[in-house]
Amino acid sequence: MREGLIIEDLHLSLRAPAGGSPGSSSGPSARPVLSGVGLTVAPGEFVALVGASGSGKTMTALSVLGLLPPQIRAASGAITLGGTDLLAASGAELNRLRGGRIGMLYQQPKRMFNPRMIIGSHLAEPLKLHRGLRGREARAQAVELLSNAGFEDPERVARAYPHQLSGGMAQRAMLAVAMAGQPELLLADEPTSALDKVLERQILELIDTQRRQHGLGVLYITHDLATVSAFADRVVVMDAGRVQEEGPARSVLGAPQTACARELLEACALTRRRIAVAGEALGLAPSRDILALDGVTKRFAKGRGARPALEDVSLSLREGEILGVLGQSGSGKSTLARLLVGVEAPDRGSISRTLPAGDSKNDGGSASRGVPGTAVQLVFQEPHDAFDPRMKLFASLEAPLLRQGTGAADGRREWIRQAVRDVELDPDLLDRYPSQCSGGQLQRLTIARALLLDPAVLICDEATSALDAVTQRKVLDLLLRLHRDRRLSLIMISHDMNVIRYMSHRVAVLYQGALVELAGTSEFFANPQHGHSKDLVAAARAHPAACSDLAACAHRVLGANVAGGRPGTSRPLELVSAPDA
Amino acid sequence: MMLFLARRTAALVVAVLLASFVVFLIPYVTPGDPVRKIIRSRVAGDAVDDSAVQALTAQLGLQDPLWTQYLRWLWRFASGDMGLSYTSRTPVVDQVLPALWVTLSLVVMTLAMAALIAVILGIAAALNEGRTADKAITAVSQAFIAMPEYWLAPMLVLVFALELSVLPSAGWEGPTSAVLPVAVLALRPASHFTSAVREGMLDALGADHVTAARGRGLSYFHTVRKHVIPNGLLPLTTLAAVWFAGLLGGSVIVEVIFAIPGMGRLLFDGVLNSDIPLAQGAVVVVVGLAVLLTTAADLVHGLLNPQVRMRHA
Repeated sequence: MREGLIIEDLHLSLRAPAGGSPGSSSGPSARPVLSGVGLTVAPGEFVALVGASGSGKTMTALSVLGLLPPQIRAASGAITLGGTDLLAASGAELNRLRGGRIGMLYQQPKRMFNPRMIIGSHLAEPLKLHRGLRGREARAQAVELLSNAGFEDPERVARAYPHQLSGGMAQRAMLAVAMAGQPELLLADEPTSALDKVLERQILELIDTQRRQHGLGVLYITHDLATVSAFADRVVVMDAGRVQEEGPARSVLGAPQTACARELLEACALTRRRIAVAGEALGLAPSRDILALDGVTKRFAKGRGARPALEDVSLSLREGEILGVLGQSGSGKSTLARLLVGVEAPDRGSISRTLPAGDSKNDGGSASRGVPGTAVQLVFQEPHDAFDPRMKLFASLEAPLLRQGTGAADGRREWIRQAVRDVELDPDLLDRYPSQCSGGQLQRLTIARALLLDPAVLICDEATSALDAVTQRKVLDLLLRLHRDRRLSLIMISHDMNVIRYMSHRVAVLYQGALVELAGTSEFFANPQHGHSKDLVAAARAHPAACSDLAACAHRVLGANVAGGRPGTSRPLELVSAPDA
Repeated sequence: MMLFLARRTAALVVAVLLASFVVFLIPYVTPGDPVRKIIRSRVAGDAVDDSAVQALTAQLGLQDPLWTQYLRWLWRFASGDMGLSYTSRTPVVDQVLPALWVTLSLVVMTLAMAALIAVILGIAAALNEGRTADKAITAVSQAFIAMPEYWLAPMLVLVFALELSVLPSAGWEGPTSAVLPVAVLALRPASHFTSAVREGMLDALGADHVTAARGRGLSYFHTVRKHVIPNGLLPLTTLAAVWFAGLLGGSVIVEVIFAIPGMGRLLFDGVLNSDIPLAQGAVVVVVGLAVLLTTAADLVHGLLNPQVRMRHA
């Protein structure tokens, strides 16, 4: 009997929608989702399944659990776990497998708990179903599981409701639930993509501990190679529903064979490149401040003891600069963005905007630069929420221009199409609805929409956090090109150290509403001053095995790219080796 | 939770006071002098003696400022004295309380019936989404809405009381007399409840945590019973409370058609006979109860949602 999980030549296809679209019967009736996927996870092995979004990673995992969406079915192939045929298993057998022999972690842990049930009750279910434990025994076991998941106060957590847990705590609780049935296989579907680096590291270590203690096979799905490189025994790279590359972590990371593996690597090698200080690069006179906050305090909650969202923050943005604002959720980052754009007013302190005089535009001096409210534009985190779902994209992009009363209809149309070309998209996309576009496309369109008003400052509030690594990289490079071409000043707000390091000239660190550090980027990463900054930098560095591997391969990959002279993205950037390499 | 309760109670008191003030103003804003109206209602004939008007004005304290009158009225009202009915010459309280009891039992039976139908049909529709059962249930429940009470009630009376003679056609005596009114009255709420349960269930079925429950190995029916139905039925609590409040005053047509001595019937008579104290008493009781019920529903909804419960803890 062969052991562990074996997926052989798995084909999944999308059923043609019942009574589909009459008239336009283009394409075959069943569209393939996976075409011949094969992979194995031996007991005690940590396998990373890596790929950009839409590559079929999640469908592979769901087919193992037999939880595929109803419109997708397995056409052919075989999935076995320790000799059990999973595709042929009956409903009752699958129920025993799920949570019993296979544990599962999900991307959005907080949404995976029933909001009306305490954590302990969630744990009780698999304990009763798969191990026959009830009452006191089950409660003791639940507490032990939570304690193994790294909780210092497992009793309290067991009594907590899901909304009382943070994202990181919820994922650890979910790990406890997944381990409750003493599984032989753990499927982890991007369990840390929504968490910051510190928490990501913590979760990975917990999973790794369980793997070593229980001989657990781990199939870890992610789009971020760097994350798992320190833990994975083997890496499987997927793209377009196929396995493109597979091998020991060291060899895939060190010498990627396929283009998509290289692209993934390049995307997570953000840290390896930096740009020169903008003032020099742009050949500008010593820069002056165009946005300045002076002693700004903003308070939302009124009650006593409520901490202000921002407290006494003084900060300035220089012309032509990219300022990185680093902070974890709840640090006041988004409040800062809202204040800068002017949708909120500070309770105390002042915000001054010294914006450059408008370049006279060819359409008769619309000169929105300097018009209050348009010179500073915002790009949001969730591109799907940034557009009216019932409006075609063209209408969404046109709306701000109509409000400004700019130009005639024809000129406006051409201008918008040009703006869309500027963000490297096909203008024909404008005839679509938001739901018909990918996250990356929509994020480019939010940038295009912001640029239509010709702002002097663009604030990106976690603008790439919702995107996968490859798309993120492309959007960041687009922002860098716009920064250079348009003399755009940027504020990059993010919790992601790599994004901040990749983009910024200076780094500001927000912690619990206060500005705790402000320094040049290389200075900051070499020698962080504040305790919180030190934690952040240490966590970003904490990929020990990966770093040396990555550094070596990244140099090779990126070197090849620059030598090969890929048009567009990499040209303006100066390659500098990172200080911690 | 205590702060939450206090805040809701304060809002409740304000709402009832506002409503009572509006009700108090009714005789002042309706055309015609209320005093003359009163006298006219007592003595037959159109000629009203001016001295009688003055005497009654003084007797009723109508020369006092408005707010004094309001407070006096409110105080009497609060101490259970709703005045004398112009028509029956008996205290309004003695008419309102039995009527309220009748209407309350009618409404409670109606809502229980509607909820029972809705839970069965709504869950069945949601679990069979898009299939024939779902479509049939949706079609039938929409047909319920389209049937007006003033048409349906006589139809049912024709069939069950006159043709088949199995149920009484009117009155409020014994359980059989409640069957037809409850059936007529329950149809519309049943229809609304059904679609609310269906939507709630569909939302609950699509929730991520339901997938996670399947992923823990719970069977489909176990998952539906434990994680879907409790969440899916929640919208029903608020909706039922709103309908409760609405039906208290909204059962007029059915009460009149079936000659049920309830609040609706009382209001109807009060307005028809310009019996201002009767109408005022009935309206204030109905409004007060409606506000109370809506608040109670909010509280229950809060208690069922740990996030609300703890935020106000």
